[in-house]
Amino acid sequence: LTELFAAEDTVGKRRTAPVKQSTIEVRGCRLNVRRAGKGEPLLFLHGAQGLNGREPGLEALTESCDVIAPDHPGFGRSADSELIDDAGDLAFFYLDLLNVMEIDRVHLVGQCIGGWVALEMAVRTTERIASLVLVNSAGIRVKGVPRADMFVCSQDELMKMLFAGQGADEWLASWRATPDMEDIYDRNRAAAAKYSWSPRLFNPKLERWLHRVDVPTHIIWGEDDRVIPPAYATALKGLIAGATVTMLPSSAHLPHIEQPQAFASEVARFIRSAAR
Amino acid sequence: MPYAHLDMTYTQKHRAAWVVLPNTYFDPKKGHELYNRYLDELELVAETGFDGISVNEHHQNAYGLMPSPVVMAAALSRRTKNAKIAILGNAFCLREHPLTLAEEHAMIDCITGGRLISGMVRGIGAEYYSLGVNPTISHARFQEAHDLVVQAWTRPGPFAFEGKHYHFEYVNVWPRPYQQPHPPIWAPSTGSTETIEWAAHPSRKYVYLQAYSPIVSVARYLNYYRECAQRMYGYTASSDQIGWSTPVYVSDTDQKARDEAKAHIEVLFNKLLRLPFEMIFPPGYLSMKSLKNMRSHKRSVSGQEHTVDTLIEQGIMVCGSPDTVRKQFMDTHRTLGFQNLLCLMQFGTLPRDLTEKNIRLFAREVLPALQGLTDKEYGGMEVRAAE
Repeated sequence: LTELFAAEDTVGKRRTAPVKQSTIEVRGCRLNVRRAGKGEPLLFLHGAQGLNGREPGLEALTESCDVIAPDHPGFGRSADSELIDDAGDLAFFYLDLLNVMEIDRVHLVGQCIGGWVALEMAVRTTERIASLVLVNSAGIRVKGVPRADMFVCSQDELMKMLFAGQGADEWLASWRATPDMEDIYDRNRAAAAKYSWSPRLFNPKLERWLHRVDVPTHIIWGEDDRVIPPAYATALKGLIAGATVTMLPSSAHLPHIEQPQAFASEVARFIRSAAR
Repeated sequence: MPYAHLDMTYTQKHRAAWVVLPNTYFDPKKGHELYNRYLDELELVAETGFDGISVNEHHQNAYGLMPSPVVMAAALSRRTKNAKIAILGNAFCLREHPLTLAEEHAMIDCITGGRLISGMVRGIGAEYYSLGVNPTISHARFQEAHDLVVQAWTRPGPFAFEGKHYHFEYVNVWPRPYQQPHPPIWAPSTGSTETIEWAAHPSRKYVYLQAYSPIVSVARYLNYYRECAQRMYGYTASSDQIGWSTPVYVSDTDQKARDEAKAHIEVLFNKLLRLPFEMIFPPGYLSMKSLKNMRSHKRSVSGQEHTVDTLIEQGIMVCGSPDTVRKQFMDTHRTLGFQNLLCLMQFGTLPRDLTEKNIRLFAREVLPALQGLTDKEYGGMEVRAAE
């Protein structure tokens, strides 16, 4: 993995806020963490596609928040960890990360698998969690609602699942920019499969403990998502006391990429309202 | 063991003959006839002097109707007397309880008085969609399932098995296998370096069987086994550790063989082996290193339209008159050294009469010459280098 860590990240240079990229060791796992912006700490937990440094929704959030965006273990430029097999392990791992970083209060924003991890953290303890934003989140299964499979499909089909509009070509091009990025794309697919293959994208036991989520929770959903359809937003709202929902039009699975301004302003508005 | 009655226009509606092809395409009445026909053909193979007959496992597809090769092996156990019955293989690691297969293999070994060859495979990528097992841990589970099964066959029970993926309080398999310490284990594969290195290990020295590949790939992987043995483990692999599996068709002349095999072998490769990249290699099924290798060597078995001519040219199939086929196998043995040869005598839509003719002609004209080959006829590294 040394070449991954040594590789130069040139992507940060085009950002408005300077991005600090560092390696933080948690439980023996070297975690690659991007951090930018000023304000209350916000931990962004990415989804199955990982991060490629071109997430305009996160960039927009740096105007109001101290955005902390790690690559999950096994994704991007983070190391693998033998301690982590599933979303529940990732939850304990990120609670440990908050300890290591000495963050007492954090806004959690999780998309897809990241939303699932955020929920797993919150049912364990909300001691340090100020608020929770779930974006097209995995974690539960709504019976009878068919979902499109991100793994079995061709790349063309996948792009149609992830994007409602025309953003796929540009996004895909950013993954094809260098051989290093191409490797990370493959690595991310494998890591996503490791954590979410079976049962696909959910933990059957999670739903029965969601009453423990006792922090302000907002649900943001790209309404054209077929990977995790909008019925899941409704179901999560019913399972988490006081949760609110905003549906984002013209967006599918990746609202932080496809509708960055709407995504960021929704998150920022909610975090302001949730501030103590 | 293909579903030969498949409506081949399925390709207009479905992207694969695996995983997503609706099972409404399968007619159980035609299935009944096919199963019995294929069993007849396998029994004929045993009667005509082949050393063994082989069955294998694939799930939820039209390519092969054997989700459980154990069922077929059991059916053959009592209908054959001398032939080895080779299950090549069973995917023990696809099971939550690999011991059920360990029991079944031991039963067949006892019933046949030690005629079982036990192949262990990971299963191809499609299996991981069909059975829901996580592909990212398949190597680890494969190796652990193997350890569990070998211990179950060899260690006095009951004992507890304490693995990462498998945990059992009582491992105490009844019956124990007839062959001691256990039936021969083979490792069939389409060319995973991890599997080759594992099979060649001195504690195992399992027969590595390369299946469905252009002859350049067969050569690369079989030689890699020998190189592993020499360089990683410091011993010289013998030809009886090496195997090759390929479709074979013989007829009176080269041209006649080509003409007779053409439609049927093309269906096999273009219709029944229709598997998109994402299906054959789900994420994490291959290590990053193997994935890059695979991408750069662009596999030529699936993903391209084949004709009987391209299949013969690339050495994916062996087809011709008895003289041609005999010579090709003997020459290849001289350069690659394989003492185990698996001939796929029925393929695609090849009908009963041509299959039987193929079996009988091969048994009479080709087989005797090959059965006499040993390590002595293998030319070794020097011959390979010179050529």
